[in-house]
Amino acid sequence: MPATSELLPIAPIDFKAKADELLPEGASYDSCLNCGLCSSGCPASGLEGMDPRRFIRMAMLGMNEELSNTRWIWTCTQCRRCMYVCPMSIDVSVLVGLARGQWPDEKKPQGIVRSCDAQLRFSSTSAMGLRTEDFIEIVEEIADEVKESDERFNDLEAPIDKQGAYFFINQNSREPAVEPEELAPLWKIFHYVGADWTYASKGWAAENFCMFAGDDAAWETMVRQRVDAVNELGCKVWVNTECGHSFYTLWKGIDKFGLDAHFEPGSLITYYAQWIREGKLPVNADWNTMGLKFTLQDPCQLVRKSIGDPVADDLRFVARALVGEDNFVDMQPCRSANYCCGGGGGFLQAGMNEQRRAYGKRKFDQIMTTQADYVLTPCHNCHSQMEDIGEHYDGHYRVVHYWTLICLSLGILGENERKYLGPELMDL
Amino acid sequence: MTTKPRVYQTQLAVIGSGLAGFAAAVFALDKGISTAQVGNTGAIAYTTGYLDLLGGCGEQLLEDPWEGLKQLRNDEPRHPLSRVSDGEIQEAFSLFTRALSDMGINYTKPGERNLFALSPAGTTKPTLSVPETMITGVTAKDSGARTLILDFVGLKGFSALELVSNLRKSWPGLTAKRLEFPGMTTGAQLYPEVMARALEVESTRRQLAEMIRHELGDAECVGMPAIMGIHLPDRVHADLQRMVGVPLFEIPTMPPAVPGIRLREMFEQTFPALGLILVPQQKVKNVDLGEAGTVLSLKDSYGDVVIETRAVLLATGRFLSGGLHADRFSIRESLLGIPVTQPEDRAGWYRKDYFDHRGHPVNRAGIEVDELFRPLDASGVPINEGLFAAGILLAHQDWMRQRCGAGVAIASAYKAVEALSGYLS
Ligand SMILES: Cc1cc2nc3c(=O)[nH]c(=O)nc-3n(C[C@H](O)[C@H](O)[C@H](O)COP(=O)(O)OP(=O)(O)OC[C@H]3O[C@@H](n4cnc5c(N)ncnc54)[C@H](O)[C@@H]3O)c2cc1C
Ligand code: SF4
Ligand code: SF4
Repeated sequence: MPATSELLPIAPIDFKAKADELLPEGASYDSCLNCGLCSSGCPASGLEGMDPRRFIRMAMLGMNEELSNTRWIWTCTQCRRCMYVCPMSIDVSVLVGLARGQWPDEKKPQGIVRSCDAQLRFSSTSAMGLRTEDFIEIVEEIADEVKESDERFNDLEAPIDKQGAYFFINQNSREPAVEPEELAPLWKIFHYVGADWTYASKGWAAENFCMFAGDDAAWETMVRQRVDAVNELGCKVWVNTECGHSFYTLWKGIDKFGLDAHFEPGSLITYYAQWIREGKLPVNADWNTMGLKFTLQDPCQLVRKSIGDPVADDLRFVARALVGEDNFVDMQPCRSANYCCGGGGGFLQAGMNEQRRAYGKRKFDQIMTTQADYVLTPCHNCHSQMEDIGEHYDGHYRVVHYWTLICLSLGILGENERKYLGPELMDL
Repeated sequence: MTTKPRVYQTQLAVIGSGLAGFAAAVFALDKGISTAQVGNTGAIAYTTGYLDLLGGCGEQLLEDPWEGLKQLRNDEPRHPLSRVSDGEIQEAFSLFTRALSDMGINYTKPGERNLFALSPAGTTKPTLSVPETMITGVTAKDSGARTLILDFVGLKGFSALELVSNLRKSWPGLTAKRLEFPGMTTGAQLYPEVMARALEVESTRRQLAEMIRHELGDAECVGMPAIMGIHLPDRVHADLQRMVGVPLFEIPTMPPAVPGIRLREMFEQTFPALGLILVPQQKVKNVDLGEAGTVLSLKDSYGDVVIETRAVLLATGRFLSGGLHADRFSIRESLLGIPVTQPEDRAGWYRKDYFDHRGHPVNRAGIEVDELFRPLDASGVPINEGLFAAGILLAHQDWMRQRCGAGVAIASAYKAVEALSGYLS
């Protein structure tokens, strides 16, 4: 009797042949020195009996069946720290992406598959299945609330489909779907600096789980829809909300699939820094009279995998301006050398909590070493993961978005926009 | 879509982030020269952390490196170290070790004699300066102090028993003990880096100190693999030592080991704060040498990076780091095609006897420089007025046999930066 697909092994990929195809000219897995630096600095080492060095070695030895079937590929967050420390710049995450793609959908972690499916279902491209009509209604409702509750914002706008706006804002669906009051701080910042921006009625959602699913065709579909939306509105700069992977998946997708984009991808962090330097966002740390300590998590997808140290510098510049020079403590290591928190690559959605928390233990230790009261991070996955490991390992820190602190510092943070702040900051 | 190329303008671009590149950057920043540096992980990641000046030749180990240098200048006048005076070497080492201390890793003051420092296998090697976290191992051995050596379940490449049995003859007061590292008791392979990062957390230190105190017996000090933190190791060391109550010291482990990771990470984290433009973990793809200045280009994951500079310092290392490339017939310099002094053909690379005390000619292959450390073309003329070179890329040295890796890197970087600073002004 034929086995069900549940029991069938996954059809093996010839990793070595594929690697030769995929790697940039001159790069080769054959050059691996077997030095182990990659595994030494990888938080997924040892999970599911695998580590990056072993993965490369097995690929070179043609152990394709084992590699095609190991669940480890779902614990590697594709953070590329291994490549960063490798003397030969060997990128394990490419092979991991390949292996993920080979798994039939029914075997892949269902959380990731469902999110990708949802994105493909509606023109909103929302992984939470939020439709555009609902999104628009939520945006209008929250905008009205802000206007009514704070007269400084009674001309606040949250435009949809504004032709020719300078910024196209991609919105992570978590806010409209789960915590709509968290939408407002960013709008207030835009209003404060007089930014010309718009949402769109299609392709407005930022997240991209199809990339994590290893489904390149779906990833392309997703990016194409969003690129078309920006092109149609003729916006100059595409910016997504504080989220790491959405940024990577868009610019990388444009590059990888050769799409025709008539705009420039930008990071919100770069603009925060620019507006502070220009005096348009006159933030300061006067509010931090208690000397609360802050550290920050560099999202791999934004820093190491995208812009690199220039954006890491901006992250710090903004953080210091917000909390005070003396109240900022860097995690070690940081910037492009940072460790992934374990929330990336779809790990949070993969249902492998035990492994994910083992992975996150290193990040937890790094946070504890700083003795910070708060961790700042402009990334939803980092945010959720660090909250979760904090709770799990009994750390007493909170995780907060940049937009919350910017508005707090400017005295424009609403009472209901303080979800991530501690009781000491509720009345400030 | 186009991401804009990132363009930097500097006085100096250092190509390479090994010891030579880092030392050059330290010296250049010290002189107020605006500097950019590009390079990915090289040999530095595998180092013991010891800074060797000149340890000897083959089997013969040098107690006095300065005497050795005198001899070297006589026997090997073209050796890079022969082209730097004692005074300059002293200045280079003291500037460099002081900079390391300022950045976060204390080193012992380079002195008159070589220190005989412990290796993971339980031998000793002559070196000029060691991290402060390791110096007690040298003094304890010299005084024969009763010493407990620890290792850990799951940690490969470091065995306390092996070390003790190799050293016991000359150091009878040694004992060995294996511990389980706190919080890592699953039996899975442990990496020193992971343990080191864990020891940055106070509660882990407390647990480990408790275990060590339990095993201490009458030991006067305790040696263990180099795992006392990656960031600010001296603070981790001092705190652990305070908790245990006797002097502690680290012994380097086999790669992937902490001392190299520590150095690399420290440079990466502190240089940008000192104003250096660091393009980490990338290689320069193209160098366009000009009369008035040079343009370096490379591509990282986000797009093109361009560095426009007046002077260039090439410190790209040898085969392991990619500075030299060997094919079936010959050796070439990878980036600019600078002529490489080398045996006439491949048959001349190695001597018949692998252990020949003269070493192998291939290890002395490298590029030629003039007295200002400018690389020379085939006719012996500097390739460009603004191009300088340093480190083990240079010909006429065999750093491994002569135990002079850091020496060549630091001394030649010093000379090259002196020269290029003259050129820039
Ligand atoms: C296993 C091992 C152990 C060692 N232990 C010791 C020790 O105990 N004591 C000691 O004194 N020395 C030791 N050394 C030697 C020491 O590390 C070297 O002597 C020293 O690092 C040489 O420095 P370098 O900068 O000239 O070359 P390398 O360290 O090889 O650095 C060369 C750099 O150039 C970079 N590079 C190459 N091509 C390019 C390019 N196109 N663009 C940009 N960058 C490029 C590489 O990425 C690398 O960062 C050890 C070396 C090894 C391999
Ligand atoms: S760091 Fe690079 S060279 Fe070293 S084992 Fe890993 S893949 Fe191989
Ligand atoms: S990409 Fe990140 S998680 Fe995956 S093997 Fe490399 S370091 Fe580990």
